[in-house]
Order: sequence, then structure tokens, then C-alpha cells
Amino acid sequence: MDTLAKLQILSGAARYDASCASSGSKREAPACGTGNTSQSGICHSWSDDGRCISLLKILLSNDCRYDCAYCVNRSSNAVERASFTAREVVDLTLDFYRRNYIEGLFLSSAVMQSPDVTMERMVRVVETLRLEEQFGGYIHLKIIPGCSSELVRKAGLYADRISVNIELPSQDSLRRLAPQKHKDSILEPMALIGREIHSSLVERKADRRAPRFAPAGQSTQMIIGASPETDFQILRLSQGLYKKMNLKRVYYSAYVPVIADNRLPVLAAPPLLREHRLYQADWLLRFYGFSAEEILSDDLPDLDETFDPKTAWALRHPEFFPVDINRADYPTLLRVPGIGVTSAKRIIAARRFSAITPEGMKKIGVVLKRAKYFIASAGRPFEKPDRTPALIRQQLLLGEGDGVAPPRQLLLSGLFA
Amino acid sequence: MGMNRYLYDGSADGLLSAIAWILAEESDPEQVALAARKDTLFEDGLFIGTDATLAESLFSRLRKQLPDVAHTLYFCMLAEKEGIETSLLHYIFLAFTHGDKINDYLTHAAVRDIVSISKKAARELHRMKGLLRFEKLRDGAYLAKMEPDHNIIHPLAYHFRTRLKAQHWFLYDVKRRTAARWSNGTLQFGTIEQFTTPALSDDEKQVQALWQTFFKTIAIPDRKNARLQKSNMPMKYWKYLTEKQGE
Ligand code: SF4
Repeated sequence: MDTLAKLQILSGAARYDASCASSGSKREAPACGTGNTSQSGICHSWSDDGRCISLLKILLSNDCRYDCAYCVNRSSNAVERASFTAREVVDLTLDFYRRNYIEGLFLSSAVMQSPDVTMERMVRVVETLRLEEQFGGYIHLKIIPGCSSELVRKAGLYADRISVNIELPSQDSLRRLAPQKHKDSILEPMALIGREIHSSLVERKADRRAPRFAPAGQSTQMIIGASPETDFQILRLSQGLYKKMNLKRVYYSAYVPVIADNRLPVLAAPPLLREHRLYQADWLLRFYGFSAEEILSDDLPDLDETFDPKTAWALRHPEFFPVDINRADYPTLLRVPGIGVTSAKRIIAARRFSAITPEGMKKIGVVLKRAKYFIASAGRPFEKPDRTPALIRQQLLLGEGDGVAPPRQLLLSGLFA
Repeated sequence: MGMNRYLYDGSADGLLSAIAWILAEESDPEQVALAARKDTLFEDGLFIGTDATLAESLFSRLRKQLPDVAHTLYFCMLAEKEGIETSLLHYIFLAFTHGDKINDYLTHAAVRDIVSISKKAARELHRMKGLLRFEKLRDGAYLAKMEPDHNIIHPLAYHFRTRLKAQHWFLYDVKRRTAARWSNGTLQFGTIEQFTTPALSDDEKQVQALWQTFFKTIAIPDRKNARLQKSNMPMKYWKYLTEKQGE
């Protein structure tokens, strides 16, 4: 099979992986080599589904020993199989990078003969890129659950980001749908990576030349809607991963029914709106100072379909509003629906020069469509003060023709304002 | 009291030296207007001659004291936009009064104008860092053609100087006929009067086909979203995109 045919199979198999981030790493170009990374990440193209392409995202192989219920590449499914040689991946990466098609490589793989054999081959690819070819571009490497910790360590030395997929939000579901994967084989490498990242940071403080370990951090991904967990369970899991494992990102991937299996739910369509709401809630965890318990509870275990989680929270907490835009501190401003990180920063910056009026809000580019129900300036709310939450609810709904249409995009960042 | 009007020769140095002169001589620069001389009969205003040393000293003063402002000014100049001189003058005047945080003063019209022009240029630069496409030539060098709205060839070349330092490459701005060349550790800029497309290397079409294949396959078929694609990657850039040839 020639490289083009393999590429077709092995990039097609990687397309559902939501993570395309290439940011968060600052790697200088090697003295006589090719490539560096950019702190803010660069998109090189946008595919026909509108998603950013920044990395050559491929599987090393789709020839899988395992039989996970939700996966096209499961051993019991009849699909065409292919595997790249290490050299093929190295050449593709370099040829694409030199033409500025990509920021780097995102390499994952199905489980070939064994986790160790697979991981060893993947590590060989990045080792060749870094050592032989002096490649300085971005590398994201997936860890194959069950491989040796030695290989995990090696992967972290060469890659900018490494990730272990948590796959499903509970041990039960994992046992049922991915019987060959064990919770421990996922959590152990995660913890190991967390420790290594930490100690590398400590060492590098003492000595700038100490080796970096996955400088862009660790991320993970889980499939949403293939198993019965509630959004509350999922958000608490993410919260734990951010707090205890120090993860950079958790990616959520709406389950796409690719093959029939009686262990799987029958869905009319992938739960895209749910995925979208989870990303919004995740955003609240990471950047807005919310806790999972504020967003959801045992009595309210799933995210609202109609309203984004911040608006839903605001509607449940009328006592918090209106927020005075000339007095409120940054965390308080961030709780206002429609005011995101950028707007909150702009408000705080602009009010150093003069008090902000409703007009002024528009001038500095804050969108008031949603925020106006929740803010006040000089003691006066932007909208009439006698509005009950029920009225605001209605108003918000009327104001948004497309409020309930499921988004047609996998990964939405910067969702607010 | 009417506004005092001044003119300058239309060059970047001319603009900066006129601003420096006005800041030094006028008591209320916010009441002053500045424009490029067009040599029409009815232009009215006092012409300020270009003084490169004055321009240089203003810019280096900004760089030292107000780095964010210098940065904004730099990108603003890349925009090659006409009629922004008065706003720029007021912006720099305000910057010396309020300090480097002036970019936050978005309720002021001049600041808003300048910041938004500069942001647009910076955004296009960032975009081109991703959208530029090199083709390998027969002699092993790489060539990238582009037609950006802003004159960004300098900062773009600096970006690729570190990124693709091991290869020999050219950038060519087709609209402005300017070029950058990186070879053997030196970066040079110049203009090209007569451009002839050089022959491609033998394997170039093969690599392009691989990229085109990847581009097609990586999209999720039932989530086609042409509108989102175009808003992220406007069609004006497609002309030189390898993956968009023949569309
Ligand atoms: S191990 Fe990975 S590739 Fe193999 S069946 Fe499971 S999910 Fe699919």
C-alpha cells in the first residue's frame, strides 16, 4: 500500500479526535534544524467541517487487537487496515512542516501486537524527529494504556503534549464497553505524567538546562453519550482531573454511532448540543471560578439545553444581580451572562479612565444583548428593575433565534461574549 | 478656534517626524489635524518637512517608554491606510499623557480607531503565519506567494527566519512586488520587477497530493460547514492555498 492510501485510512481514523490544540509550548528551533512552536498556537487551515487544522493528525496504525464497542477500528469490525512505518510518518511530518501546512504532529494509534510494541514504535517516530532530524515543531503523543512507564517517560521527553484518553466517564462503563482497558492502566500513566511534569518544572527552576517534560501539559478525552453518566458526574470527574491530576484540558467528544452494538444506546444523532454545553461548563470550571457543584447538583444532574450554563446559573441566582459594572471586581463581572474574559478585562481597564455608561459599554465592544438584564451602572440597571427571572428567561429566549440549534462544530473555544 | 492643519510628504518617516514636531510645538495637539500632501491646488495646511532623525528618535523613545504603544504604531503602519494621521497624532499625544495603558481607553475615538486598525494588521499577520504555503522548487529552495491586505512581509519573514532556518526560502508579495529571501543565514528584502514562476521540484506535486488528501479526509463528513470554514479562512486567501486549488 502506498503512503497516500495509508494516509487516507489513518487520517480518516483520527478525525474524531477533538484535540487539535497546538498552543502552550515554547520550543526554540534547534540550532541547525527545522521548526519551533508558538505560545499561542497557529491554525494552518480549516477543514470542510470548519475545524482548525494545525497538526498532522494520524494514527500510526488502525490494526487493533482490542474490541471497544464504540470504535470503528475494533478488531471485530471489518474495515481496511493499514500501518505506517516510522519513516513514513517522519517524512510526512517534515514534508508538511517545510511547506508550512502544519504546526507539527499529533500521533495516536490503535493497539497493535501489544501496548508496549505500539508505544515503542510511536516513541521511535518522535525520537527520530527530534534527534535525527532536529525537528523543533509541536508534537502531541497519545499514550497507549498499559505500556511501560519507561516508554511514558521517554514520550514525555520528546513530546510537547502527551495525553491518555480516559475514554468513558466511569469504571463501570469502561468495563462494559472497553473490556480490555482497565481504569488503572489509564490513571496510572496520568498520575506518572503529572508527577514528571511537576518535577521537571521544579528542576528547571534550579537549572535552566534540565530537560523539559511535556511542556504543553497533559490532556485527555472522553466520549459523551455512549454510556449513562450524567453531566454532573462528568463535570465532577473533569474537576477532579484539573485539580488533582493537573490536566491542561479535558476534551469531550460526542459519541458518533459508527457501528451497531447492543451495548450501545441508539441515538438519532450525535449529542452535539450536549457536547457543546459540556465545553461551556468546562470553561466555567477553568476560567470563571465556578465549581461543578455550583453548575449542577444531584437534583439537577444535567445541563440545560436551552441556556448556556452561565445563564442558567444566573437565572437560578437572582439575588446576585444586577452587578454594578463600575464597582464589581473581576470574578463578579465574569459571572454576568454575556461577559467573557475579554469583556471583563476591558471593562476593568476602561473604567480607570472614566466611569462606564451603557453607551461606553458598546464603545469598548461589549455585547449587551444578554448582559443588559444582569448589570447596572450608577445604581441604575440597564433594563427595567422589575423584571422577574421568569420574564428575563422569556426575553432571553425571544432574543435568540438560534439559541437551541445544536452547533455544528466539535470544538468551540471562547464560547462566551 | 479652528483646527491647525499640517501636511507631510506621505512617507512613514515623514509621518513620524511630523508627529514629533507637532508634539513639541503645539500646545494642544488634540486640536491639530494632520494629513498626507496630495499636491492638489486647494490643499490648505502647513507643510512639515521629513526629518528621519526626528522620526527615529520618536520611535525609539516610544519603544523604550511605551512598548505597547510602539507595537500598536508599528502594526498601524503596516496597514498602509490613508486618512488616519490625525487619529494617530492624537493617539500618541494621549499615550504620552496617560502612559502605556492607553490602548484600554477604548471610549476615546482616536484610540479606538488606531487600536482597531493595528489589531486588524496583527490579525492578518497571525493568520498568514498559518496560511502561507511554500512550494519546493527544482533547486531545492522553497517559494511562498501571497497577496495580503497589509504590508506584513517583514514581520512574516522574521517569523519564518526562526521557524524554517534550515531551508532556503523566498516570500513574494505579488501585489506589492516585494520579496524576502532567506539563505545561508541571511535575510534580505527587495522588490521584484519581473517575476517568472520557477520550475517545481519533481516530488512537489506528490507532496501536495498528500496534503490535499489529508485535508479532505480529516473533515467529518456529516458535519460539513462551509460558512464556518469561510469565516475562519476567508476566500481571498484561497488563491495560494495548496488544499484549495481547483475550487
Ligand atoms: S483500543 Fe482504541 S483503536 Fe482499538 S478498539 Fe479500542 S478505541 Fe478503538
